[in-house]
Amino acid sequence: MSADDRGERPARVYAPDFLTELFRNPLEPGYAAAAERRRADPPPPWRARSTRSVTVVVLVVLGFLLAVAYRQTMEDEPGRSQARSGLVAQIKEREHATDELSARADQLREEVSRQRDAALSGSAAARLRDLEAGTGLGRVRGDGVVVRLADAPGDADAVTGAGAGPPRVLYSDLQGVANALWSAGAEAVSINGQRLTATSTIRSAGEAILVDFRPVTGPYEVSAIGPDSMKRRFEQSRNAALMRDVAQKTGLSFGVREADDLTLPAAPEPRLRYAEPPESPSPSPSGDRSASPGASGSGTSPSPSGGGR
Amino acid sequence: MIAVLALLAGVVLGVWLDPTVPAALQPYLPIAVVAALDAVFGGVRAKLDRIFDDKQFVVSFISNVLVAALIVYLGDQLGVGGQLSTGVVVVLGVRIFGNVAAIRRHLFRA
Repeated sequence: MSADDRGERPARVYAPDFLTELFRNPLEPGYAAAAERRRADPPPPWRARSTRSVTVVVLVVLGFLLAVAYRQTMEDEPGRSQARSGLVAQIKEREHATDELSARADQLREEVSRQRDAALSGSAAARLRDLEAGTGLGRVRGDGVVVRLADAPGDADAVTGAGAGPPRVLYSDLQGVANALWSAGAEAVSINGQRLTATSTIRSAGEAILVDFRPVTGPYEVSAIGPDSMKRRFEQSRNAALMRDVAQKTGLSFGVREADDLTLPAAPEPRLRYAEPPESPSPSPSGDRSASPGASGSGTSPSPSGGGR
Repeated sequence: MIAVLALLAGVVLGVWLDPTVPAALQPYLPIAVVAALDAVFGGVRAKLDRIFDDKQFVVSFISNVLVAALIVYLGDQLGVGGQLSTGVVVVLGVRIFGNVAAIRRHLFRA
């Protein structure tokens, strides 16, 4: 722009930037130039009339354009909202179907274990039940502790919607608590009623926390069944100290209490993608071989690393 | 007066004929409308400034619409159509705002 001639002055004045220029001078400079020209050399009247008629035609076209654009937008709108509500309905429907199917799966699993108990001899059935309880495939009950974690109170910023919002429990907090419980001697752990097994995952997806790919929402209750010393050992662990610190600083709530007669549900059947149970020559109901993949090694207590990720 | 009547005639024509916009042109329609609005507000301001010129108005209207559509088309071909149309809308919006502010100064002296 005019930076060159201004640059020579002692007090340097910067040329206005693009946006300032845009704000200051929105009018086409052509209008001023045309007015200048007209003043210098007035056009013959027939020309003025013909250009005037072209202007009228352009305005008709403009009105036409506005009407068409308006109608177009209005026509698109119902289609869009229809598609959105259709998708929402589909999601709801599928969620419902999933819940129904998983309830049915649980029912069938109970049925299977009842039938198996009936088919197996007493000691074999008891051993199988023990193994299932240890690996998370069977429902268990007993005394233990419940660790409660909750997001800090307070809503998200009401004006901007998003923003910082209150401090939230992270998936890594749940991982840490679960791992600390395992290492404090827990034999069974569940988060909000989702039993953890050796292959369980605790992950974050956006703002949600997924345990074994099922979303869990706060407040989070991590229940564990284990020996009496578990509460003391858990509270002495590094993770518990960290969580206490975090709770004090950010306003999250974190509490540990002993609980009697907890019942932890069974985990869903594990989906083995690579490992296969060995082909036993005779599918005899001995019970020793049939539960081999999950129980190898650690007996009734799952490996501590299993709860983490 | 004639201008307003012509505008109304165009609206009535659009409603009455109810043309279907070809699918290929649909993305450019909103941008074309914004560009046309820019030309119109520029024209109104020029009118109030008493320097309105028919030829200038017609040329700026047609070129605005065509250039805006062309920019969006190029952006679509380059894969930045959405961003470029945002840019076009921002620039035209700023111009419309400035012109409307000038019109407001003319009408209300404020």
